[in-house]
Amino acid sequence: MRRSRSAWAFVAPAALHLLVFAVVPIVYAFVVSLFDWRILKGTMPFVGFGKYQEVLQDPPFWNAMLNSAKFAALSVPAGMAVALLVAMPLASQLKGMGLFRTLYYIPAISSMVAVSMLWIYMFLPGNGLINATTSLFGVKSVDFLNETGWAMPALAFMSVWTGLGPRMIIYVAGLLGVPPSLYEAAELDGAGAWSRFWNVTWPMLAPTNVFVLVTGTITAFQLFTPVYMMTKGGPLDSTDVVGYHVFVEAWKKFHVSTASAQSFLLLVVVGSVALVQYRMMRRQLEGYSAG
Amino acid sequence: MTRRQALAWMTAAATLPLGCRASDDGRTVIRVANWGGAGDDSDYFKMVRSLYDRYSDHDPTSRVRVELVPGSQEYVSKLLLDHIAGAMPDVVTIDASSAAVFIDNGLLADLTPFAESDPTFDLDGFFPNVVDIARRGKGLFAVPIDFTPMVLYCNARHFREAGVPLPEGKWSHAEFLEKAKALTTADRFGFEFANWMPGWVTFLWNHGADVLSPDGARASGFLDSEKSIEAIGFVADLVSKHKVSPSLSQTAAAGVDYFATGRASMKVVGHWFLVGLAASQEVDLEDVVVVELPTELDRSETVMYEAGLGIGGSCKHPQKAWEFIKYWTGHGVQSKYNTSGIAVSARKDVEEAKLADKTLSPRAVERNRAFQRIVPSARPPWGSRVEGYDRVEDNCQKAMDAVLKNGVPVKEAFAKAARDIDLEFSRR
Repeated sequence: MRRSRSAWAFVAPAALHLLVFAVVPIVYAFVVSLFDWRILKGTMPFVGFGKYQEVLQDPPFWNAMLNSAKFAALSVPAGMAVALLVAMPLASQLKGMGLFRTLYYIPAISSMVAVSMLWIYMFLPGNGLINATTSLFGVKSVDFLNETGWAMPALAFMSVWTGLGPRMIIYVAGLLGVPPSLYEAAELDGAGAWSRFWNVTWPMLAPTNVFVLVTGTITAFQLFTPVYMMTKGGPLDSTDVVGYHVFVEAWKKFHVSTASAQSFLLLVVVGSVALVQYRMMRRQLEGYSAG
Repeated sequence: MTRRQALAWMTAAATLPLGCRASDDGRTVIRVANWGGAGDDSDYFKMVRSLYDRYSDHDPTSRVRVELVPGSQEYVSKLLLDHIAGAMPDVVTIDASSAAVFIDNGLLADLTPFAESDPTFDLDGFFPNVVDIARRGKGLFAVPIDFTPMVLYCNARHFREAGVPLPEGKWSHAEFLEKAKALTTADRFGFEFANWMPGWVTFLWNHGADVLSPDGARASGFLDSEKSIEAIGFVADLVSKHKVSPSLSQTAAAGVDYFATGRASMKVVGHWFLVGLAASQEVDLEDVVVVELPTELDRSETVMYEAGLGIGGSCKHPQKAWEFIKYWTGHGVQSKYNTSGIAVSARKDVEEAKLADKTLSPRAVERNRAFQRIVPSARPPWGSRVEGYDRVEDNCQKAMDAVLKNGVPVKEAFAKAARDIDLEFSRR
């Protein structure tokens, strides 16, 4: 009984925080989505699931959802590949690896507003760092953030860099968890570097991959700050991702109920995507467990 | 650390923010909202700050607390949220292009009782059509500070060099195109098109077209009308067909203002542009001439962007707020404030004094006269009458982007914009 009380005491602050700052606002947002709340006029008639019907038939919302999916498709696999590539040397026991891990992690602890400002300058046409560098090889200047074909890849490219630190740390932990005996056995069997990676490292990283893929996808669908700072959803709505779309709906148009309904639809979509990803990789996970 | 000590630390940490309240010196704090960034240390901002600070000399029982919000759209959102939270500032700086959302939702107090009962205040001293921007019937919801019509700036040196006469009085779109072509050379453009709706909407107006129906209720039938499509097509052709203006990618790659760097001969912009031009190394301010926009109508039309001061609807001490508005819109402060050159003063006496100023060059006086000639025919922006007009501008901007960046036909792009605007209006 006493142990149970102590356990509750330890859990209570976190639970209270979760309740006040997550559960209550989510429930409140759901309630708001059932009304047509005009906050400037002070009216709030009940409309049931009317807002959901409206959002389901709203092409700009689905364009935003599609843009988020594009962003996830561009940034998550590339982010995972780069993070794994960086993590492999950093998982070694060589001297100085701690310094490199810290350096790679710095973008993750920097303010996203500051990082976005930095990348605005990097992406500038003409004298921006990227264009200035490519112009040395005779490549024509590209206005990355103002051309419909380039804006989303540019944001994804930046996100690979900002997300590198956390993903790299998770992969380093995953790689350090692979028993050295498996590599020794593979080596005795004559396996080369690629064969060791493909037959030992990759299967053993299955749980890590699932975790990084699912959390990366969820994070990708939550993209907001770089879009707000760098493109405002443009050009021509090509970077109007769902996080930014909901923000505009709520705080520019003051359609709070519509924005709440959009948020819940986002929750359903992201939850479904995460579930599908988890199921697709479960077989791999089962193989890992059996191994 | 004992459990008691830990509890004491946690209690102290939790109650720390309560100790951060500003000390109360007995004076009334007047909260004034304005645009601006926290790190702004420009000469203009320093001057504005000093005028705010001097308010305590004017009224020792009050002090001003300025609440700055960077970005015009963020400013509107922030103030609307303040209103929802019941924390609207006492005095609110209102931009005409977003005034409707404040006035029509009852966020501002009617200033008529103050203006009519105060013998020290004279509304007749202001330009009447500038005052009318914040009127609704007999109600007055803001006292104007300053304004700027959109005008056409010309570089007289370029005109001289090309042997092209400067436009005088009323002139047509065809004459404008002719001059722009004659001024365009290998290293200079006749016109600098700004891909920004306030910079091109006046081409519609001066072609007898408009963005919205006269009641501001819909865009279809207006933005997508034959006349509008012709006008927008004319503007787009300046860039893509006649090439008398830099393309969007050329502008982006240059990263500088073409007119201010002497690489364009004409540009549509407001009074504030003069502040930047004064610092230009490539353009002599004495070469800068202000003319009316070309038109197909009997009289050139332009838009008038204005800023004014209103009192928040939930203001606890409106009389104090009114005293501040009087101070800020009074002759003394406005004479000083207007030296920034950012806009035309809404006070007739300040503008008259400017014309009589012997220290100004003849060219500067001529420019001031040109601005004042335009005032009576300048229209308020749609945003002063139509709530959510910023969404109209967003949709039109997207349509113009589609035309200039993706080669979408003008008719198709603006028909879609009109439909999207109507859809947004139906959800208001």
